[in-house]
Amino acid sequence: MKSRDHALALVSSRLGWLAIASAIVLAVGGTMAPDRIWSNLLIVGVYAVTLALGGALFIALTYVANASWNVAFRRVPEAMAVVLAPAGVGLLAVLAARCQQYAWHPQNGEADAGTFWFKELWTNPTFWMIRAVAYIAIWLLLSRMLVAASRRQDHSQGLGFTLFNRRLSAIFLLVYAPTFALASCDWLMLLDPMWFSTIFGVYNFAGMVEATLAIMIILSIILRRRGPLRGIFTDDHLHDLGKLLLGFSCFWMYIWFSQYMLIWYTNMPEETAYYLLRTGGPWGPLMIANVALNWIIPFFTLLPRPWKRNESIMLKIAVIVLLGRWLDLYIMVFPATVGTTPMVGIWEAAGGGLAVGLFGWLFFRAFTKVPAVPSGDPLLAESLHYHC
Amino acid sequence: MSERLLLAKFGHEDDLLASCKELRRHDYKIVDAFTPYAVHGLDRAMGLEPSRLTWVCFLCGMIGAIGMLIFEYWVGAISWPVDVGGKPWNSLPSNVPVAFETAVLLAGFGSVFALFGVSRLYPGKAVRPEFDRVTDDRFILVLAETDARFDPAEVKHLLRPFNLLELEERVVSAGGVPS
Repeated sequence: MKSRDHALALVSSRLGWLAIASAIVLAVGGTMAPDRIWSNLLIVGVYAVTLALGGALFIALTYVANASWNVAFRRVPEAMAVVLAPAGVGLLAVLAARCQQYAWHPQNGEADAGTFWFKELWTNPTFWMIRAVAYIAIWLLLSRMLVAASRRQDHSQGLGFTLFNRRLSAIFLLVYAPTFALASCDWLMLLDPMWFSTIFGVYNFAGMVEATLAIMIILSIILRRRGPLRGIFTDDHLHDLGKLLLGFSCFWMYIWFSQYMLIWYTNMPEETAYYLLRTGGPWGPLMIANVALNWIIPFFTLLPRPWKRNESIMLKIAVIVLLGRWLDLYIMVFPATVGTTPMVGIWEAAGGGLAVGLFGWLFFRAFTKVPAVPSGDPLLAESLHYHC
Repeated sequence: MSERLLLAKFGHEDDLLASCKELRRHDYKIVDAFTPYAVHGLDRAMGLEPSRLTWVCFLCGMIGAIGMLIFEYWVGAISWPVDVGGKPWNSLPSNVPVAFETAVLLAGFGSVFALFGVSRLYPGKAVRPEFDRVTDDRFILVLAETDARFDPAEVKHLLRPFNLLELEERVVSAGGVPS
């Protein structure tokens, strides 16, 4: 027991140091290249918030589907959902600090004069900030309630908390769908205020779920190797997470292509501007790399059954998908805020380090606070003997 | 040519799984198992090899996707070029949806018909041998009495601890049981 805690504490403290080192680098960079630092912090914020929110979404989906297979490792997405509080506050701070980075901000002149009246209203900085606070507050409230009920179930018996969480999950999903679509438009699509895509919310949903599954695979494997989930998180669980990752990888590609093809086909200047900027010159190879990391590599490597049950292969695929998610956000943010040349250097590396370090450190802190297995859940036995 | 089969009948899936392992430990070859529903872990207990159907599915899907891309290129750029919105003849994005659909179609058809072919299922095929209650609450293990070494009495002795309900010998013509 002692050595287990020690092994986890070691991982946790290393991640903490990584976060601190990255934060120092970013703070130094804040004076040298503020635009790039801000863009990196926006990516880190969105990345961490969507991963944490993805944990809550995974819990809600499995409750609504009356699933039992995931119960044995449900504390993993629960601990991810707990990270939503610090991640959300961090993202709100980033948004509030450099709101004028968005081209529609009044400080940037009257560039948007003459657009649709509703868009002018929608991009009012105060209203925009209030909405951001509201999205995060609603997600936080619902996800904390889900996690709290699951934790209280440890000390009780019967179906009460399961039924409560199932109802709450249905509400969560109904609330999540419109708020997340709007949030991704507010935070990312409005970086190009004149550009619009009606599928943008779905596109971000696909990327979010894909990355969530990848991080769940990584964290569960670490927890299995380091002790708490040894003998609990089985190859069958890993296999099913792999199947879901394969499915959502294809879904991401489907939505990516749906967005691209319609804009390519209709060929209207106000829509194609987005892709002209992102497929031309040095961005072209990055666009292809994005598709390769998020779909081509995961698709072909996740097809064979033995590979989905292989810990070290799954670990590598999950890391590739998480890199792909970062590149996806990078391609959405950087052309609009930094400029036409892609720049990847120490600031971007520090941004990545901050995301990994902070999210990982907060996750392990949340995970080790409560028992590693939801012992009061009536479906736990079924999950422990799960065979797929 | 006919075959002598030994049918062991059980009332519970756990008995079936345990007796599968016990028989295989004594080098008996299990021809098939019939159950009312998919029993988890039965493939492993019977010692079945991994299915090769996935490869059929994958290859058919690839043939569908690549074949359709080539066909669309030939139609759109070589045989009958039509100007659509000033796009180039060989516009890949417009070819992708149909290539995707064809991949799904061929992968689906390919796997289903490969499954039918391998298990020799065709319209009007007679059901042989017939099993009572196997779609309801009986679990049946089929053993082939292949050589002189095969001893039904020993099998009966081996399976008794697993709540064996009934042991039945049958002679069927070849091809009666999908193998």
